[in-house]
Amino acid sequence: MNRMIQCVSLMLSLCLLLASAGGFAAAEGVVDGDLTCTITLGNWPPDTASAAEKALFEGYRDTMARQYPNVTLVPDYYSYTLSNYVPMAKGGTAPTIFQPPFTDPQLLISQHLVGDVTEALEKFGVLDKFSPSYVEMLADENGRIYGLPRDGYVLGMHLNLALFREAGLMTEDGLPMYPKTLQELAEYGQIIREKTGKAGLVFPASETYGGWLFTNIAWNFGCVGESALEYQDEDGRWVCNFTSPECVAAMEYMRDLRWKYDILNVDATTTDWAGAHSLLGTGEAAMNFAADDSVDQPTSNKGLPVEDFALIPFPAGPAGRYALAGGTCYMFAPDITADQAVAAMAYLKILGKLPFLDDDIIAGMRADYAAKRDRGAPVLPAISAWNDAEYNSAKQAIVDEYCNVDMRLYSDFFDSLSGGTISLKSEEPVFAQQLYRELTAVIQRVITREGADIVKALQKAQDSFQEYLDDEINDY
Amino acid sequence: MKKIQHTGVIREYDLHAPAVKAGYGFVIFLCCLAVIVAVFPLIWVTLAGFKDLKEFLSSTSIFPKSFSLEPFAVTWNQLGITKNYLNSLISVAGSVICALIFNGLLGYGLGILKPKGYGVVKKLVTLSLLMPATISIVPLFMNIQKLGLGSSFLPLWLSFGANAMYVILFMQFFESLPRSIIEASRIDGCSQLQTFFRIVLPLSKPICVVVAIFAINAAWSDFLLPYLVLRGTPKETVMVRLFKFSTEQTVNEDTMMRSVVFSMIPPIILFFIFQKQLTENSVSVGIKG
Amino acid sequence: MSAGKESRIRTHARLRENVTSWLIMVPGLLLMLFFVWEPLFESVRMSLYKTRNVELVRFIGLDNFVSVVSKDDFMQALVNTFSYTFWSLLLGFGLPVLLAILINETTRGKGLFRTAVYLPNMLPGLAVIILWSAFFSGGKSGVLNILIGRLGIPPQSYLTRSEWVIPIIILIATWKGAGATALIYMAGMAGISPELYEAAAIDGATVRQRVFHILLPAVRKLAGTLLILQIISVFQIMYEPMVLTKGGPDNASLSLMQLMWQYAFGGSMNYGKASAVAVIVTLILLVMTAIYSFFNRRESDWE
Repeated sequence: MNRMIQCVSLMLSLCLLLASAGGFAAAEGVVDGDLTCTITLGNWPPDTASAAEKALFEGYRDTMARQYPNVTLVPDYYSYTLSNYVPMAKGGTAPTIFQPPFTDPQLLISQHLVGDVTEALEKFGVLDKFSPSYVEMLADENGRIYGLPRDGYVLGMHLNLALFREAGLMTEDGLPMYPKTLQELAEYGQIIREKTGKAGLVFPASETYGGWLFTNIAWNFGCVGESALEYQDEDGRWVCNFTSPECVAAMEYMRDLRWKYDILNVDATTTDWAGAHSLLGTGEAAMNFAADDSVDQPTSNKGLPVEDFALIPFPAGPAGRYALAGGTCYMFAPDITADQAVAAMAYLKILGKLPFLDDDIIAGMRADYAAKRDRGAPVLPAISAWNDAEYNSAKQAIVDEYCNVDMRLYSDFFDSLSGGTISLKSEEPVFAQQLYRELTAVIQRVITREGADIVKALQKAQDSFQEYLDDEINDY
Repeated sequence: MKKIQHTGVIREYDLHAPAVKAGYGFVIFLCCLAVIVAVFPLIWVTLAGFKDLKEFLSSTSIFPKSFSLEPFAVTWNQLGITKNYLNSLISVAGSVICALIFNGLLGYGLGILKPKGYGVVKKLVTLSLLMPATISIVPLFMNIQKLGLGSSFLPLWLSFGANAMYVILFMQFFESLPRSIIEASRIDGCSQLQTFFRIVLPLSKPICVVVAIFAINAAWSDFLLPYLVLRGTPKETVMVRLFKFSTEQTVNEDTMMRSVVFSMIPPIILFFIFQKQLTENSVSVGIKG
Repeated sequence: MSAGKESRIRTHARLRENVTSWLIMVPGLLLMLFFVWEPLFESVRMSLYKTRNVELVRFIGLDNFVSVVSKDDFMQALVNTFSYTFWSLLLGFGLPVLLAILINETTRGKGLFRTAVYLPNMLPGLAVIILWSAFFSGGKSGVLNILIGRLGIPPQSYLTRSEWVIPIIILIATWKGAGATALIYMAGMAGISPELYEAAAIDGATVRQRVFHILLPAVRKLAGTLLILQIISVFQIMYEPMVLTKGGPDNASLSLMQLMWQYAFGGSMNYGKASAVAVIVTLILLVMTAIYSFFNRRESDWE
């Protein structure tokens, strides 16, 4: 009996080996005709997406249908937020694949709201190619993996060059004289406001966005190490610290942007992420703290021509030069079956989200970049989430073919990453969204009331967030 | 010559006094102002729909540069509004039917049949009127999920069958019906249900029209429960889409304004068809509630 | 003997009648149970438990209430909610009465006035709030700024001012609801016999005296009912600040119901605390209603 099982499993693994080798050689053919299941795709483009983007995903679906004829794909565009996800996960209506930001995987894993895909990843041979930082992010304490990285981003700054030109802040070579430090940001912003009458900087100080951007500013003012915004003390308790001199200085900087230099957009406290891109894209503001993965927002979505757009590194502060690095991952419904997990990986492989390059994937990348170029979005090198040099360089070569921008407008940003002149830092480790919410409230107070008591407001936020930390982890 | 009827405090003979006459003129002026305030925002949002994103965010004119209908057509097609309209229609139709049948029967029980112990139910229903519906939306949504009714119109339809205000409107209307007619029908051997359909219902057209209009309007405007139940399914209604736009940041500001216009057209049409019932009947009913 | 039998038959018939009557009410009652009463009960239960998502982890008595009430944002939301109520009474309570009196006075065009002021009430609340957000936008392209620009006033910012946000939200709610309420008052005023005015006029009462001594007393009871309904609806304010100001600036427009929503769906998924806020709102409303019906007991037959 035992031997029989051994026999069967040996044969099975042989079959698998053959199947996977065969699949590689002939991507067009059927990879696994027996895999039968239905998966819902939360990463399908929304109805509002361009026809080209929709066509791209239809193409993925066709490929999937050829390789896995018995897997049914159900498009189900889903814009993830923690609040709308939880009831869906509980009620069993979560899409098989969805895309949360890197702030949430640990919370979702600890609450058992996502499915384990370790076996499926192993089957595709990519378990060891994860960047270690991503494993930390996407695994539980037993090393089981619940997701995989979709793409990473690094926070920098978007510029509207039309306004820089109008303000006389362009060199003869057609490059912007852009702020290298936060102090210069304030000064340049002032020049722009005086010369053009538009906002120097758009700061989306609503909900969590304000706090999110503020943490990066605070790091550059020295809120790291001993003065970090949140840390674990020797007893393992999570402690937050918003009242360090560094954090107060960072908040005073926010105050000065509004009351001393007056460079912020008028309705900062009701401006959200998309609203900030709208203002930059339509020429109502000249600078916006934003990342390399959202360059299509001001350009193709809001109508700014690519030649009037530039991406620069996050300005340095008095105590350092950090840039927030984050991203989006793929995670899976908590009730995912083994078959569904395999089907989901196969689908993500077709999308080119696993570190494989075969003809289909290269074709997919080309289609993706071509679509970007056609709708007027900058085609830029992506920051890879995989530790696979061969894969990464092959990818870069394809990007170069489709490049539609003057790379000089982006080179400082990418050089700062590869040259190490900027330190990457991921988001604050626990309950970042709530931390952002608390800090946003302080920013709102500071930029709407001249002479607001900064220390008092920060103390209040600190007390409130500390209580939250005690409730949610320390005393759990 | 048609005689002008004064219904208000100012009587015809008062108008001989110049001060009162001036005051009357001022009253007319204020009324016209109220009309402008009520209607102007609607005109404005329609005008804003003609603007593109850049114009919407930077123009300092109320009027758009061009009156081309193309932006509306583009938004309509791009967002697939036809489907959302159909979904809203299905949702509204079922909701109105449920609102009339279930609340009507409950109101009949409480207003006319009054079986032993009905007082408790009446108290409970009246108290429910005071509870904001959103208060218990979390457990309600969980119940719906537990019964496997998520992604279906059914819970939305049925939720309109449990409306305390409609029950009370029905109840009060039924109470005002002459008892003698109902008793006569009972003596003729009609059962309670027969009495309802043969005697009470035909007399209840005014209240049915009013509850129907209220329900149509409420079902069209509702978005919190529909959002939780229908989000992400092909059954999303117009208001669910609008709520998604305002929270999920997927559409630009100009497109949002056109979506607002689309969401307002059916209620405005309904309003003009039923304005007499709305401005006359509903208040005479509302006054009791 | 025969009388006893007859009475038994009558009892039997009445019993059957009662059963049938209840059966007629059962469908409606089941729906009320499922959609209103059981969820309300469940809220109360959840407020007494430590929750993890929607699972009740353990009974903790009133801990959720203590924790919720001790936080600054609760006090802020409570104060804001009363501030909403204050502004709503100030802006929204008198205006419908005034509108009703004015329209009631008109002879020509009454139908038009009545129709026009009722119109905003038909519009979806969400659409109304989005529409008005563009009105109060602070840039040069904000509609209000365009309008005051015609008068030579420089552009103002509205939604970033903590002292303005609540009045603005109430103003929008009033724009939507005042006309419909005015029509209810008008119906009440239509019930006043013209002879009363005639008699008063003969006695030499001025127009102003007639308003204060005849018209307003006649709608006093109605006003009491509408007052309590208005307060209830103000306590439900939630999506208005969510969409318009997101509760800001610095929680200046955060309402209690919005706080509940934040606990439930704002990232912390704390349904226990969310339910605690819901229960507190329910209790406040119950107390207010009790006070109202106490003062109104003798004259009102409301309920």
